[in-house]
Amino acid sequence: MRDLLNHIIEAAVTKFGAEYAETRAQTLYKTMLTLKEGRVEAAKQGIENGVAIRVLVNGSWGFASVGSLNPEVLMNAASDACKMAKTASSRQKTPIKLAEIKAVEDSVCLRPEKNPHEIQVQDKIKTALAINKTTLSYDKRVRSCTIDYLDLTGNSHLLTSEGTAIDQDKLYVWSRITASAKSKGTSTFSREEIGSTQGYELFDKQTPEKIGTAVAKRAVEQLEAKSPRGGASAVVLGPEVVGVFVHEAFGHLAEADLALSGGVLASTLGKKVASEVVTFYDDGTINGAFGSFKYDDEGVQTQRTLLIKDGVVTGLMHNRETAKKLNTAPTGNARAEDFRVEPIIRMRNTYMSPRDHSFEELIESVKLGYYFKSFRGGQANLDGTFQVGIQEAYEIVDGEIGEPVRNASICGNTLETLFKVDAVGKDFELSSGRCGKGQTAFIGDGGPHIKLKEVTVGGSA
Amino acid sequence: MAVLEKSEMMRLAEAAVENCLKKGAGEAEVYVYEGQATNVGIELGQISKSNRIIDKGLGIRVAVNKAIGFAYTNIIEDESATEDVISRAINAAKASKPDPDWRGLPEKRPYIFAEKTYDNRILELRAEDLVDIASQMLDSASGVNKRVFPIEGGAGASYLSTAIANSNGISIFDKGTMIECSLAAVAKEGNTVTPVCFEFNAERNYNIDPAWVGKETGRIAASALKTKRIETKNTKIIFTQFALQELFYYTLMNAVKADDVQRNQSPFKDKIGEKVAAENITIYDDGLIPGGLRTWTFDGEGSPHQKTPLIERGILRNFLYDNYTAKKEGRESTGNASRSGYLSTPEIEATNFHVIPGTAPADQIISEMDDGLIIYYLQGAHSSNPVSGEFSVVATPAWEVRKGEIGHSTRGVMLAGNMFELLKNVSMIADNERKMGQLVSSWILVENVRVIGK
Repeated sequence: MRDLLNHIIEAAVTKFGAEYAETRAQTLYKTMLTLKEGRVEAAKQGIENGVAIRVLVNGSWGFASVGSLNPEVLMNAASDACKMAKTASSRQKTPIKLAEIKAVEDSVCLRPEKNPHEIQVQDKIKTALAINKTTLSYDKRVRSCTIDYLDLTGNSHLLTSEGTAIDQDKLYVWSRITASAKSKGTSTFSREEIGSTQGYELFDKQTPEKIGTAVAKRAVEQLEAKSPRGGASAVVLGPEVVGVFVHEAFGHLAEADLALSGGVLASTLGKKVASEVVTFYDDGTINGAFGSFKYDDEGVQTQRTLLIKDGVVTGLMHNRETAKKLNTAPTGNARAEDFRVEPIIRMRNTYMSPRDHSFEELIESVKLGYYFKSFRGGQANLDGTFQVGIQEAYEIVDGEIGEPVRNASICGNTLETLFKVDAVGKDFELSSGRCGKGQTAFIGDGGPHIKLKEVTVGGSA
Repeated sequence: MAVLEKSEMMRLAEAAVENCLKKGAGEAEVYVYEGQATNVGIELGQISKSNRIIDKGLGIRVAVNKAIGFAYTNIIEDESATEDVISRAINAAKASKPDPDWRGLPEKRPYIFAEKTYDNRILELRAEDLVDIASQMLDSASGVNKRVFPIEGGAGASYLSTAIANSNGISIFDKGTMIECSLAAVAKEGNTVTPVCFEFNAERNYNIDPAWVGKETGRIAASALKTKRIETKNTKIIFTQFALQELFYYTLMNAVKADDVQRNQSPFKDKIGEKVAAENITIYDDGLIPGGLRTWTFDGEGSPHQKTPLIERGILRNFLYDNYTAKKEGRESTGNASRSGYLSTPEIEATNFHVIPGTAPADQIISEMDDGLIIYYLQGAHSSNPVSGEFSVVATPAWEVRKGEIGHSTRGVMLAGNMFELLKNVSMIADNERKMGQLVSSWILVENVRVIGK
């Protein structure tokens, strides 16, 4: 296959006029399960085979994706991609150039303790059923439980006209568990998500009992919860909420493509945008974390990228194109969901570094406010407006955690809010999630507990 | 573009069904899919890429003793790959657990054929034509105002075809086309950057207006530059289709799914025949609207698309069913089994979620408004409580309406409430219907919504 793909790349460069050409051939195996109240909707298995061909012609990108390894189909696709790039370049003012990188030849083999590909579907169903049982038997007010499970294994083979040849295994195990509870006309909803690039041993740590109890307990607790008061408030955020805040509110703005599109971080390099207790990283090197990998889909080795150090912006996340544009080095953030799509700048594991406060100190410092422990989604805009929905929250009254609160959310402007971080905890937790930016990427995010002096809380009371 | 012929796809589907039964499946359903798309992309304000994606595949669902297995592959022109998928589907079913509520795959029923969903001109479109469309859009956006900066967007043409065959004798094919263009822009002045503003136009036939998309994107972005803070209060709100699409998708559209109802996850359970919305609200799910973005002859398991009344003059009439949930109640599917290509099993989704328009022109609703807000884009609707309908979202941005005119924009305004309460407070529906994803709707005016200012 490598010979065939080399031949295609050579043709793109010598016959079809490409300045740069790459092929990404992938074979992916997936197992998926959906269980609703213990009923297995369907046990699903899939195989996907395909090749992505990306070329740069006259400074424009051309891209073609085909689900075939047929030499003729591939050659047509390469010719197509080059023709389309040429067409796209007809109105282009600033040709695209790529930052230089060293060609890499490597083979990355994963050796999971428990390879999900080798585990029987029956066993996967058994694990899901155990989660279901724990969730539904936690309390009779828990009415429904949906479990989605996915494992993805396979291989990605990247070849470029610059001599890079990387053969890389892929492995992801993921599950999302949701539950709803109902009592006296009140309905609540709770969600947990777990993921790993290590292997099926994920369920040894995140045992069915642990995860099922967590999701059910939250749904039940919310039944007695009250609505938050809308308006400005002091808050303590748990690691999970800090993670989604770092990812959504800051991380997306630090993706160089979005920064260059007029985002608020465009000209902040070297400037102070946060209080000095704030340090952020995007890190692809954490072993087993859901957003980790060795090489990105442009063949750049992953790294631990410092984004903010002590409140000062130190870098952005780049692909080769944006790195060239901003005269810096690529950071290994170019990721493609699969062979059907082009690599774009994506986060890996994005987190805030811990400092020195204990959880108790953070809570004690709040006279009247909220403790936001777990989130239900978040979103941000280029102008820095962010929103994070909260699925588990408590009041803080006179420095102590009080009654539960439901359906809260926080919003604000990222850069204003980062200055309001006034204390950072010494604990640390990383969560697994999926991020949508046209394509889905598996990511991690997290941090310690932190305190915000003030943020807008959305609530109906 | 060369595409797979109808006969070829149907033959593939039918042969695979036969083969499944021979290999021991009690029932079998084969879904064959082909999608081809050509796109031209705008990045950092200029046309900088083009792509062509060809995706074909087949998904096989089998029942073995009431246990369901599913397998798919994207290699369809190779018999051994198909054989392999069949074995995988059967093995998956054997590994799975029987479902006592499984009452078989859909039976054959008459179809009403989808109209205005295919245009050969879209299939013949070249990348050059899409570059022209994208440039027209860019030019007219920049023409609005010097402070407007287009960011991203593009133009795309796509072709999609499906064939479904099952062991109950269903064997049917449909094909359709879509063309779309979209643009996102911000406006900048000094240190002020607006939130991202966007517009789009998507149609099933070759009839889009890129100049309008560009102009409208530019107009909205420029008008978001001047901002003002507002206080926390209860006020009237005009929800445009952008905002409605987001809010409905995560609340109302789930509440009418039979699966959510049967599983005690819908506030509409046991409420058929009851008043659940203001009297001016009538909503149909209509998978056959001519030229609708979700209009097809049949759904993801071969059941005919139809028009289903959901809410009529505020009264809840019906839910959305797939074959499984319908048979559980001894009724027929409403044709709402949806698939994301060949990679997934069917799930209940709305087709065209049609909010019947009112008679008030949009201008009139604004001119009669003394004090309120108009909302285009929302952030955070996906964090709504899907079971209770409670939401807490931020408008990016909202515009103030004062004494009959749209005024300053306002940033960071949060809206909090409950979708099912909000539906009861709809006081007017405009006559400016448009298609947006699953939603077909006009602006709606809602009284007494809680907004949290800064």
